[in-house]
Amino acid sequence: MRKKILIRRFDPETVDESFLQAFNVDLPQNATILDALIKIKEEQDGTISFRKSCRSAICGSCAVTVNGVAVLACNSQFKSISWVEGDVIIEPLGNLPVLKDLIVRFYPFWHEVEKTMPWLEPKEEIGEKENIVSAEDVAIIDESANCIMCGCCFGDCTIRETDDNFMGPAALAKAWRFVGDTRDAIKTERLELLSKACNAWDCTRCNLCIDRCPKGVRPLDQIVRIRQEAMKAGIKDNKGARHALAFQSDIKNHGKLNETTMPLKTVGIIRSLGMIPMALRMQMKGKVPFPIQKDIEGIKEVKKIYKIMEVDE
Amino acid sequence: MKYAYYPGCAAEAIMKEADETTRQVARILGIELIDMKNATCCGAGCLDEANLELSYVINARIFAIAESMGLNSIMTICSTCLQTMTKINQELQSDPELLERVNKVLRKTGTEYRGNVQMTHLLWVLVKDYGLDKVKKHVKRPLNMLNVAAFYGCHTLRPAEILGYEDPRNPKSLDLLIKALGGKTVDYRGKTRCCGFHTLLVNERASLKAGGKRLQEAKDKGADCMVTPCPLCDVSLDVYQSEAEKLYQKKTQLPVFNLSQLIALALGVDVSDLSFRKHLVSPKKIISAVIAAEG
Repeated sequence: MRKKILIRRFDPETVDESFLQAFNVDLPQNATILDALIKIKEEQDGTISFRKSCRSAICGSCAVTVNGVAVLACNSQFKSISWVEGDVIIEPLGNLPVLKDLIVRFYPFWHEVEKTMPWLEPKEEIGEKENIVSAEDVAIIDESANCIMCGCCFGDCTIRETDDNFMGPAALAKAWRFVGDTRDAIKTERLELLSKACNAWDCTRCNLCIDRCPKGVRPLDQIVRIRQEAMKAGIKDNKGARHALAFQSDIKNHGKLNETTMPLKTVGIIRSLGMIPMALRMQMKGKVPFPIQKDIEGIKEVKKIYKIMEVDE
Repeated sequence: MKYAYYPGCAAEAIMKEADETTRQVARILGIELIDMKNATCCGAGCLDEANLELSYVINARIFAIAESMGLNSIMTICSTCLQTMTKINQELQSDPELLERVNKVLRKTGTEYRGNVQMTHLLWVLVKDYGLDKVKKHVKRPLNMLNVAAFYGCHTLRPAEILGYEDPRNPKSLDLLIKALGGKTVDYRGKTRCCGFHTLLVNERASLKAGGKRLQEAKDKGADCMVTPCPLCDVSLDVYQSEAEKLYQKKTQLPVFNLSQLIALALGVDVSDLSFRKHLVSPKKIISAVIAAEG
């Protein structure tokens, strides 16, 4: 098959801005994006730069963006890139500074991983005896342990795109790998760190990381696990936890969410004052509902559920 | 066609227009929506963070209400309700031990979930169950003056193995619906990305910038307006648009419609019944263009 491929080129030593360069290349039916890059480099332009190593989706070095979707070049066959209609556009991974062509500087990614203390702090002194972990206990950290640090989730992360301080999905998934490890001694310390601003609670639950991960790590699922564990550990003095608790209390008290009082419960009185101009504009458009809500029919049953389940306030 | 109707909290309060216009669209198309009067909030993916077991029971109670109404399909108009409820429902349906544990609580309140309910969304109902050819026949006011940017919203697309309706990297349903209403569609990067709503109260700046980016991406590709199948996306993209403009120091002023509002407009509902006055970014020019074309 003959394919027209556009590659984003950039060399800080020769150009000020990146540009797309077109190549036409003949490829076998089962060719991957990486096959195409190698062929173009060998036959048409030896100056094109990209990373690669194992060609087997194990090393995680060849992540690129193909028509807006971060993928591993080595395991993306042309026949499987269902979202591409027309020319194939290969660009560097997003949310990281470009060094040259398709090569990005990975330091910001590693910096976030490092913040999570990605090592085990053993509970006891390491002795001669093995420390057996049950299959059940391994299962809850199994997905997160599959991460190959390719950066696909990070490259397309919604919040990392708009906030350089957000930890990003890969680091948070790695954090869960140790929070969830029964042998670890500093679980609470980890959860306290992860509950701070720009960490676990800042994720907007867009699920792009689950979609992009080539290894089934499901980073968002691990982020939710961190949040659940943090709440169980009583770390609730932050906006994210207060927001989740507001849902719990609104459902109990009225059945439905109270959108008028939700900001107050989540961000507190002082910060809510800053929202008044916005609230007034919404009020003028008839968008702010009356703050005192009518209970749903059957609210007694709901309250009974809370009582039976002994839900703490 | 008959559905248990679950508009979700946002469409019952801040985005009431989504609920009102859905009822009008359903009436015109002959889709019967039965209110679930005693249904609670689904927890929107937040309740399960506070208390996972409670979120199973609360949602099972909602599904049980549909069963008691003799209905096995719940239609929502909120993407987050769709995703939250679909995910929990699948867990309940695939884990008999969990279902029994949940029912032990529910039985004490006089109800039980038998596991026979499916979740769906207005968008899916129209494309899959009702049929776009039939929708087309009801169009009185074609949108042929308009370049409409479809904004799918994360929670109608991902995760694919839970929602499973269409390819989350290349969805078609909303674009097909816009075309059926006589509009033109816009291809843009932000189509399958995120409006930032779910971190609006936690990281406001990052959230606003995410929404603003989607609006700019659509505008740069020539969109006259945007349409979303989710009232939460509407809040981020319309209500907070001016805040995003301030952060980027760049005006977008892109009118954003809820899906049911745009359908109701095309089906010829009286413009005064579409609550366009509630928009923060005025869609006046767009409406005038559509009405002028109608002649």
